[in-house]
Amino acid sequence: MIRLADAVLRAVGGRGVFLRLPAPAASGDDAEQLGLASPEFQDVELGPAAFHNANSVTKLMVSSSAVRAVVGSLAYDSAEVLFETAVGLVIDGVLYEITDTVGAEAMGQAYCYWLTLRAPVR
Amino acid sequence: MQNAKDTFYEVLRSRLVALNPYRTVVLRGVVRPGLLVEENELVTTVALPDCFRMRWAVKAVSADGAMPLIAMECEIEYETAGTAINGGMDRGRLLAAMDAELQAAVDPLPRTTQKMNYVGLASGAAAVAMTTSVWWSEVTFGQTVVKDDRLARTAMLTVMAYQEAGEL
Repeated sequence: MIRLADAVLRAVGGRGVFLRLPAPAASGDDAEQLGLASPEFQDVELGPAAFHNANSVTKLMVSSSAVRAVVGSLAYDSAEVLFETAVGLVIDGVLYEITDTVGAEAMGQAYCYWLTLRAPVR
Repeated sequence: MQNAKDTFYEVLRSRLVALNPYRTVVLRGVVRPGLLVEENELVTTVALPDCFRMRWAVKAVSADGAMPLIAMECEIEYETAGTAINGGMDRGRLLAAMDAELQAAVDPLPRTTQKMNYVGLASGAAAVAMTTSVWWSEVTFGQTVVKDDRLARTAMLTVMAYQEAGEL
């Protein structure tokens, strides 16, 4: 099912997006707590992914194999924790906030993730 | 204004830690005392339960004296879902415990402290004492608000300080 979802995403023109993750906080660092220092960020690529627009809501369907690879390599507990930790998704240089995450499952396994996105206010 | 905000945060955090060192929060992989300033954190971290979240607003600026006197409104929001082992049925008690902790941290005298400049921390230097003080009012508690499975409350107090020459 996962391979089928990946194949469908590629067939409909699936593309790569970047998940922006903050580096771990510095322990006992008052400068960060006071907003004087910002954490470093790293962008990791997720793909294939495809946009879905309906009723003014922007959603992104992301391959679960890509998500799993990132969860495994960066040692996150789960995909949900990964998305909650992320600052957002960088798509064509624009940072979108992730407001909701839903894993679409079949036979107990997520085959893709639906991410609800909020575009920055311009 | 920023120095007064930073100073009050540091004082309140140290008082809360002394009262209950077990009230902590995990933010970006690090265990920290359970008090954070919303504007200093990523937007994705603001709805954490079982910790105090501070928010600032300028209330009034008076330029009548030798130095401008600034009064800032400080909102402290907190919420709890209780403990999972009790099925959340202790959420009222835990909210009351947070009320008591906040009152015990804010209200006792002295409600004043030396204003500090923490800008040097960003480059590894120490905080510098300024010439004026920061002082604050007693805390007032808002209504209990039900947020799905959580009980929430917003407490408010006023923090005042003189704006020294060259301060942000």
